Amino acid sequence: MTATTIVSVEGLTRTFGPHRGVRDVGFEITEGEIFGFLGPNGAGKSTTIRLLLGLYRPDSGRMRIFGLDPVTDTTEILRRVGYLPGELTLFSKLTGRAHLDRVARIRGLTDRTLRDELVERFGVELDRPLHTLSKGNRQKVGLVLAFMHRPDLLVLDEPTSGLDPLLQDEFAHLVRETADDGRTVLLSSHDLDEVQRLVDRLAIIREGEIVVTDTVEHLRLTAPRTVEFRFANPIDPQRFADLDGVTVRSYTDGLLTLSVTGPVAPLLHTAADHDPVDLDARRADLDELFLGFYREPESA
Amino acid sequence: MNITGLDQRLRRRSLIGYALGMGLYTLVVVAMYPAFKNSTTLDEFTEQSPGTAALFGISGSLTSPTGWLNANIYNNFLPLIVLLIAIGYGAACIAGQDEDQTLGFVATLPLTRRRIAAEKLTAMAALLVPVIAVTFVCALAGRAFDLDVDVWHLLGVSIAVLLLGLAFGAFAMLIGALTGARASALGITSAVAATTYLLNSLAPVVDWLKPARYLSPFFYAVGDNQLDDGLSPWWALVLLALVAVLVGTTLIAFERLDIH
Repeated sequence: MTATTIVSVEGLTRTFGPHRGVRDVGFEITEGEIFGFLGPNGAGKSTTIRLLLGLYRPDSGRMRIFGLDPVTDTTEILRRVGYLPGELTLFSKLTGRAHLDRVARIRGLTDRTLRDELVERFGVELDRPLHTLSKGNRQKVGLVLAFMHRPDLLVLDEPTSGLDPLLQDEFAHLVRETADDGRTVLLSSHDLDEVQRLVDRLAIIREGEIVVTDTVEHLRLTAPRTVEFRFANPIDPQRFADLDGVTVRSYTDGLLTLSVTGPVAPLLHTAADHDPVDLDARRADLDELFLGFYREPESA
Repeated sequence: MNITGLDQRLRRRSLIGYALGMGLYTLVVVAMYPAFKNSTTLDEFTEQSPGTAALFGISGSLTSPTGWLNANIYNNFLPLIVLLIAIGYGAACIAGQDEDQTLGFVATLPLTRRRIAAEKLTAMAALLVPVIAVTFVCALAGRAFDLDVDVWHLLGVSIAVLLLGLAFGAFAMLIGALTGARASALGITSAVAATTYLLNSLAPVVDWLKPARYLSPFFYAVGDNQLDDGLSPWWALVLLALVAVLVGTTLIAFERLDIH
């Protein structure tokens, strides 16, 4: 059975001057998937999300959510979407309950079971004006607002900002349950741990452009390994640099440090010719890989 | 009408304050009428210094019932308060809420932008009507103080002031939707309001300005002896058309606004 595409983006471009905005962004998210959208602050994550939610208009490109166009079918899309931004700004004079009641009316939500469950589960303070609450407690109100109508697509933009570690764990469970329920999650974050823990597939955006889209598992498998040889005698590092999939990171005091993505046999043969006295090999963790994409997409 | 209710709820206290304040002010004005109705010095003042009087929106007799109400309420103070509310809300409801990012929350609910803008215009009317209605009722209470004005003429001016407020409020919304900046919406609209107010006030006493009064919305609402002669249906239509054009343009601009 072919998985249904929930979000489809092709060649999406919206610029604000020469250095801001997003250019030629493309990705797809299928039903039931938790899709990570990763990048440093200011990379274009929130701009892409605002385009998807119809808050911004694109300069060019094609977007579809549930097969609908966010520019022309915004209301139909938003009916089925729950959105939680990291910097959620609600009406500070109103209580959490006033927000939940009003949004429930706008959404035509009569069944309050899930809402009450979420309020209980996250210990949401409902009866105080929001300006008297901490950022984390305001974020909990936003969390209930995003999930309470059981949306088909959750768009979470830095969602755990302000939540304490215990609630972040509970939130991760909720996101996992949502996906297990067959619903779809777009999770934007710059928190690598959160992304590694939760997402199935991800796109990394840097300076407004997607630099990689892949599964977490595949990225882990293809992540460059760090291999170190120690030699008793001087060697020519260029011989290693000439090998396919090998990059020389440093050569100091007989210690040669390499990044290796290709097969290791040619490397071992070359090293053996120089009589190494010691060897160390380790797989780069995803943090290192992601940071490499953040810094230099071409060489990562 | 959830967005209307929300914005009304957020301004509940100021609305009550404005309505009570305006009602109290009107009662004081009408209660003071018997003390001034036979004063000749006031009318001498307007005759001798028509320019200065015009700056305060005063023309003609000050001591007639309509002259007293015009000079103290309908030519200046009520339009000022109504514009204060309308321009303040018009600048805040799109540009201001976009700046403080609460508009982003509203715009991600399943409501069309057209619906959001329409509800905000309704909220604007709902903020203006109580102030104008309280003033109307308190002005009518002037009958107890020899301040006898035609009820239909008073109603006509009240409707005209409402339309005037809606026009400037919609203009502030439009500037807000075009620029996304509350300060620009407030500044530009206030400047236009002040200029057109002066145009209407000074036109009766400055010959070369007379033709220009037709450019002022104040003329159609309060500047053509409406309390004496009633609101002309044509002038009401001009105000309605102005509101309609501004609302239509605001809807188009709001559709294109980047919401943060």
